[in-house]
This record gives sequence, C-alpha cells and structure tokens, in this order.
Amino acid sequence: MSRRKTDEEYRQTGAFRFFRWLSGSKDAYIDTVEMKPQTEAVETKEEEERREAEHKHAVEKAYDSNNRAIIVFNKIYRLVAAIFTVFLLVSLIYAVSYLPKIGDADNATSNEVARRYIENGVQETGAVNIVSGMILTYRAFDTFGETNVLFIATCCVMLMLMLDEKILEKMDGRDDRRFEPKSDPILKTMASFLCPVIFIFAIYILFNGHLSPGGGFSGGAVLGAGMIIYVNAFGFKNTQRFFNETIYKIAKISALCMYGLIGSYFYITGANHIANHIPLGKVGELISGGIILPINIVVGIEVACTMYAFYALFRRGGL
Amino acid sequence: MEMFRFVLGSAFLLIGMVVFAIEVFGIFRLNCALNRLHSAALGDTLGISSCMIGLMIMEGFTFTTLKMALVILFFWMASPVSSHLLANLEITTYADLDSKATTYEDISLLEDEMKQNGAKREN
Repeated sequence: MSRRKTDEEYRQTGAFRFFRWLSGSKDAYIDTVEMKPQTEAVETKEEEERREAEHKHAVEKAYDSNNRAIIVFNKIYRLVAAIFTVFLLVSLIYAVSYLPKIGDADNATSNEVARRYIENGVQETGAVNIVSGMILTYRAFDTFGETNVLFIATCCVMLMLMLDEKILEKMDGRDDRRFEPKSDPILKTMASFLCPVIFIFAIYILFNGHLSPGGGFSGGAVLGAGMIIYVNAFGFKNTQRFFNETIYKIAKISALCMYGLIGSYFYITGANHIANHIPLGKVGELISGGIILPINIVVGIEVACTMYAFYALFRRGGL
Repeated sequence: MEMFRFVLGSAFLLIGMVVFAIEVFGIFRLNCALNRLHSAALGDTLGISSCMIGLMIMEGFTFTTLKMALVILFFWMASPVSSHLLANLEITTYADLDSKATTYEDISLLEDEMKQNGAKREN
C-alpha cells in the first residue's frame, strides 16, 4: 500500500475532505440543512373571495375607460412626458454646445499622460501600435480585470444553462432544435472554404497586435466567430473532437493564469522604475514588444472561448 | 490618366451608392421577409462590390487593392449563404407562408413545373 495512513485515519484528514469537495461526490446540504419537500398551494374560500373582489375593483375602477379622473390623468401624463423630454433634449444640446473642440491643445484630455504615451510609448513598450502598448503594459491590470469579467460571465452562464451530457443525449432532436434547418449542404461547402481562412486571419490579428490595429480582443472575436460557423455547418459532434468541455476548461483557466503570471512578473520586475527584465526586441519585428505578444495570444484564447461558450450554451445547453 | 481613373472610380462608387439606396428603400417598403431578404442581398453583393471596385480603381495597384479584392470575395461567399439560411429558417417557422409565396420540397419539383410551363407556352 502506498498510503501510510489507514483508510479510517485518512477519512478524518483535511485532504480527504478537500478532494471530496473538489470532486463533488458529497452534497454539502445533506445532513446539515433540514429540507422539506414542497407542498401544493391550496387556496381557502376566504382568499378566493378576496382575490375576486380585488380583480372586480381593478376592472371597475382602474381600467374603466369612462372614468373622468383617469382620462384627465392620462392627458396630463402625456403632456408632462412631452415637456420633460423636450426639456431634457434642449438642456443636453445646450450642454454639448459648451464642450471644447475635439483635438484642441487646451483640452483637459491632452495632458502629460497622453503626451507621455505618444512620445515614449514606442521606446518603453516596444509596440508600434500605441493602443496595444497602452492597454497591455501601462494598463495591464485594467485589461486583466476585463479578462476576468469575461471569465466570470461565462461561469455564470454555465451555472444557469449548463445541462448534463446524458440529458443532452436523451434530448437530442426532441427539443426546439428539431425545427432548425440542419446540415445545410450550401453552408457546409461554404464553411469548408471559409473556416480555414477565418482561423488564419484570426491568428494573424492575434500575432500582429503590437504591429498593426488588432490584438487579443478583436482576434479572439474573429476566432470565436469562425468556430461558431464551424458548429453551424458541421454540428456539435464534429466540434467536440477538437473542442469539448475538458479542453475548454484547460484553455480558459490556463490562459487566465498565464495572464496573471506574466502580468505580475512584469509589474514586480519592470514597473516602478526598476530595470525591466523582459527584452523588448527590435521595434517592428514579429517577436518584439516584451509582454504584449504573449498577453495578446492569451487574451485571444480567452475571448474565443467566451464567444463560443456563450453560443453553445444558449443554443444547446452544453459545449 | 489620373483624371480618367478618378471618373471611372467615382462612376462605380455612384452605382454602388444607388444600389444601396434601392436596398434601403426595399427593406422598408417590402412586407414579406423573403422579399426583404432579396433586397438586402442585393446591397450586400452588388452594392458593396461596385463600391469596392470604384475604390480599387481610385487606389491603383497596391497591397490595399488586394485586401479590397479579398473583402469582395469574402462578401460574395458569405452573404448569399447567410441569406439562404435566413430564408430557410423563415420557411420553417412562418406558419402563414402559403398566402405569400409558393414553396417546393425539392428543387427538382420546381424544375419539372417550369418545364411543363415551357411546353405549354410552345403549344
């Protein structure tokens, strides 16, 4: 036996409880929370009479089209609504006319922060695309929060809509989806042309984020759209060969962890005027820009997983 | 030469704009979803391609021109397929379709009917 403790002793350790909780083999509510089965709602005679009286009162008093007070109230309501809308419109347009001109040198937005980004951005981040350099190095924490939002959003949708694979197999073809046109030959032919092109274009956007407009979010969106087209053309069975729930979990969580690791390493070593240990490379080359390229790839994986998971969960209830 | 290119390019752009105007008019004027799909597909294929061809002629032979040609190719491949799928969905979900259009289970049935009609006309 490889285990030193006996089975009895092992059951009392924290590790056993942790792994039991992790695998979900024990329901946390059983034996700890008192549970009662639901009973059918029964209406007494008194309650029924009261409900009917209330309904009668509403029909006679509130929905009566001959009630003078209601007619007057409706007229005043419309008048006040129109006056309020016009007032809001006029005040907003009046306020807009006092805004400073776009691109004016005296604007509050053209301060030393923007000047710093434009003047020193290329030397400090190594990215030709200033926007990419800004959001992924100066503001990497902010983008990390956005990526976390995507992760949490898919987690919530999964909690609400995810069904067991066995239920899905039983339901196959017996729910609303049987009315949808399936495996269209025209779509199949077109998707076999378009999907590779879309995937290659998405990878190009991902890898060129620091050199040209694009980056993780847009590249990931294109990648997710390509996968949605693939699913529509060839069905979920074919997609599950290369993208199922396990791969989804691995890709999503490792992408998020990688972002956290890279970001924290960069902040610990590079920020606050300590020497940057990540080489920036030659500006304008594909492998350059320090942490921007790996973070772009990681964000792209995250966004693509989110888009595809939303589509699959809302349509089928599983990946 | 420069002048000729400008005139030709703007002519193509104008054609594209007119097609787009017809498309928008059709989308708001027509009642049945299938008819609206037809007018939307018109703009997505002919309108966008003539606009792009006009811009290509104005731009000259550069890398951007190649990208525009790829955009046209992509739209020509993607737009008709999406219209086809939408039409398919409309046919399967719209209950009162027979009052607005005639549908066929298979394309061969339509071909047979067209052949018969042609034979009648010859007689």
